[in-house]
Amino acid sequence: MPSKAAADTPLFAEREEWADVQPLEQYEGVNPIAPIFYSPEYKDATGYFRAIVQAGEKSARVLELTENIIRQNPAHYSAWCYRYETLLALLPPPAEDADAGAQPDIPPLLAAELALMDELAVTFLKTYQVWHHRRLLVPLARQPRRELAFIQRGLAVDAKNYHTWSYRQWLLAACYGRGAAADPAMPDAVLDEAAGVWAGELDFVDAALAQDVRNNSAWHHRFFVVYGARGQADSEAERARIFRRELIYTKQNIAIAPSNPSAWNYLRGVLRETNTPFAAVQDFARLYAYPHSADETRDVVDLDNPAPGADAELPCVQAMEFLADAWETEAGAEMWKSLANEHDTIRRQYWEHRIRDAHQTIKPAVE
Amino acid sequence: MSIKATSTDGFPTSTSRSQAETESVLLEHLPDPASSAATPVLQKNAHMQFLIRNLVQGFPTRYISQDASQPWLLFWTLQAFSVLQVALDPGNKQRCLEKIMAWQHPDGGFGGGPGQAAHLLPTYAAICALAIVGRPGPGGGWDEVDRKKMYAFFLSLKQKDGSFLVAHHSEVDVRGIYCLLTVATMLDILTPELVDGTAAFIASCQTYEGGFASASHPPFPVSGSVLPPPAPRPPLGEAHGGYTFCALASWVLLRPYMEQTAEPKPEIDLKNLMRWLVHMQGTEIELGGFKGRTNKLVDGCYAWWCGGAFALLEALGLGGIQNADSDEVPVDSGVAAGVWDDVDESLFNRNALQEYILYAGQHPAGGLRDKPPKNADAYHTLYCLSGLSSAQHHIYPSRVRKSQVLEAWEPSGWSLLYVPNENARKVAFAELLSWTEEEGGSHIVGGKANRLNATHPLTNLTITHTEALTAHYYAQKVPERIRTAPKADPAA
Ligand SMILES: [Zn+2]
Repeated sequence: MPSKAAADTPLFAEREEWADVQPLEQYEGVNPIAPIFYSPEYKDATGYFRAIVQAGEKSARVLELTENIIRQNPAHYSAWCYRYETLLALLPPPAEDADAGAQPDIPPLLAAELALMDELAVTFLKTYQVWHHRRLLVPLARQPRRELAFIQRGLAVDAKNYHTWSYRQWLLAACYGRGAAADPAMPDAVLDEAAGVWAGELDFVDAALAQDVRNNSAWHHRFFVVYGARGQADSEAERARIFRRELIYTKQNIAIAPSNPSAWNYLRGVLRETNTPFAAVQDFARLYAYPHSADETRDVVDLDNPAPGADAELPCVQAMEFLADAWETEAGAEMWKSLANEHDTIRRQYWEHRIRDAHQTIKPAVE
Repeated sequence: MSIKATSTDGFPTSTSRSQAETESVLLEHLPDPASSAATPVLQKNAHMQFLIRNLVQGFPTRYISQDASQPWLLFWTLQAFSVLQVALDPGNKQRCLEKIMAWQHPDGGFGGGPGQAAHLLPTYAAICALAIVGRPGPGGGWDEVDRKKMYAFFLSLKQKDGSFLVAHHSEVDVRGIYCLLTVATMLDILTPELVDGTAAFIASCQTYEGGFASASHPPFPVSGSVLPPPAPRPPLGEAHGGYTFCALASWVLLRPYMEQTAEPKPEIDLKNLMRWLVHMQGTEIELGGFKGRTNKLVDGCYAWWCGGAFALLEALGLGGIQNADSDEVPVDSGVAAGVWDDVDESLFNRNALQEYILYAGQHPAGGLRDKPPKNADAYHTLYCLSGLSSAQHHIYPSRVRKSQVLEAWEPSGWSLLYVPNENARKVAFAELLSWTEEEGGSHIVGGKANRLNATHPLTNLTITHTEALTAHYYAQKVPERIRTAPKADPAA
């Protein structure tokens, strides 16, 4: 399969092996409005593509044609879709006597497709279609480990790429989630590695956050791994252990860089998920919600309440908001006022809304 | 007031570094308050020239990347004209019509170009473009949309978790669901069967941050049977402005059908959603623009996806004219003026958002953009303008208008599909038509000359275009508004 850029290859119109196809021009009308100025190469390839689709041909040369189009326009979803259908038509059917739980052999055609996708996904990182096509190939190849390694390379290029992260999450849920165990087509070898894979994901997040503690995609991934994909642990003791681990992890990361909304949102998420009142963490938040004080003591290391460093810019608005939300009382209203008038003025109307809202709920309780 | 840079806590990372770079670029675009440039001007003429260039001369070769989004290129351009209060002449409308109808797929729905497979996203864009340039009757487009086949196409994309593929062999995501629901609502092809389970899917896309992700993982294996509940349905990807708009708008559009869904009724965490949306607005140093994800950079298009979402929150009872909108009080009773507090109930900073678009969103050569020093493009031109418009005007779901539309409902109204629930259909129609511009509720930074047309918070068409197209398919009349209508809409 050629992997050269379209510009280096002759037009399909000039190729002997395509002489039997009459290209179909795109309907443009007599006097087209808002046309796109196509390059000759694009016009050529898409003309042959329309003809192939009309004829319903699903042969090896269709793979070459669709690859050519995709390299020129990776968002051409019709070309991707037709390519997938052609692949399915050309791949040998799975062996009849194969053990349902066995790892399938990879036919050469599929291996070539996977290699091509490794190249294209990095070149066209921001295109929906490249990621979806990979997803379609996973049930055919059933090698999720290979995919996890590939994704790691993708994230090295773009650490916050939405498609890359959501693909990783899909892969984990589909191959190692609760549903995968009930999937008769899932190879035993894949199921056996699940526990190790989930544990590895926490290290993966750790490494991403060590690179950039403000990477919200990595924080979201942590939530997905700890709570989202598999739900809460069955045993009370295990739930408590995980909760404590997540609290310490988050607090330590907040201590490194306090004004980090990703970390505070994660903290809120963990508390909400475990039905823990925010007030349970107020001693920690208090350390961050006020200006540095003269009598700060940093020599006492409190694991539960790690203190801000000397470089921390205090007060941290996220800590102030956290405390106000934890209290929702007169003291909370004071905090909201301070946010509205001084520390987070762009959101003044929201803070005022919170004050009004809290008053409405506080009042009846007082009367 | 001094403008404070975003804290780095003496701990720079790649996020804080690109944030700081952006802040310094944006600061350069903030004029000295003493200078004459302190009154920002929307360069309507330059933007119009940019749009005309695209429409008449066409799109340069680099737009090949959007060859599968041809309906979008046209919709972005046409709707930007509408927001700028410009209507096309009949000749150009006809040329657009011809182009749009060539995208209709023989098996229903619209593709990204002639001969391309049908897809939910271009289907929305094509129908919206038709709302702007089409009309009833032969050759007018509206009666040439094959709604029966479109309905069959929609149903063929339905998944057992209540979601929809965007096209055959393609991905599931909430953008597609928004596009499907908007079109199905306007075209009167929304049925309980079509949307069964969809609200629960939408709800499952809400993340712990409060915003919505692109999709969720189904609670059952890729192949095989359904797991016994409650299996997790985790969101795939983090909370994101574009997906959040689409999910929230879908939620609002699904409401007339939610009463019928089986228990337990799906729920979303509205307060957490509101909090997340509010926090997407950048601070003063970011000129009050919106970002699309936590710890990412501000970008003009989120003026619509995030800024525009606040109007949708009002439909769910958050913000805006709360509890009793002034509409509930007869205009001539003399009570209206004094009773209700004169508080701006907006949850976000409308003025700051307008300043972001005016100072940073406009490209000096015409067209609008993500942020300086980027180029303008057709997509950002529309969404910056729509976002600016939504920050200028207060459009809210009026209960008075809704009951007026319900009263005017013609039971003889003919429907294309079987109607298992006439009432839901009627309510869907009335709710779409209930959106009303609050009189005297506009705050236009830079003065009247910067005024844009209001857009419908659900469709991102003008209210006039939304109502005309929708009433056509429901075979209903649009009742005249009781109070003075919003300012004349020359695009109508
Ligand atoms: Zn953008």
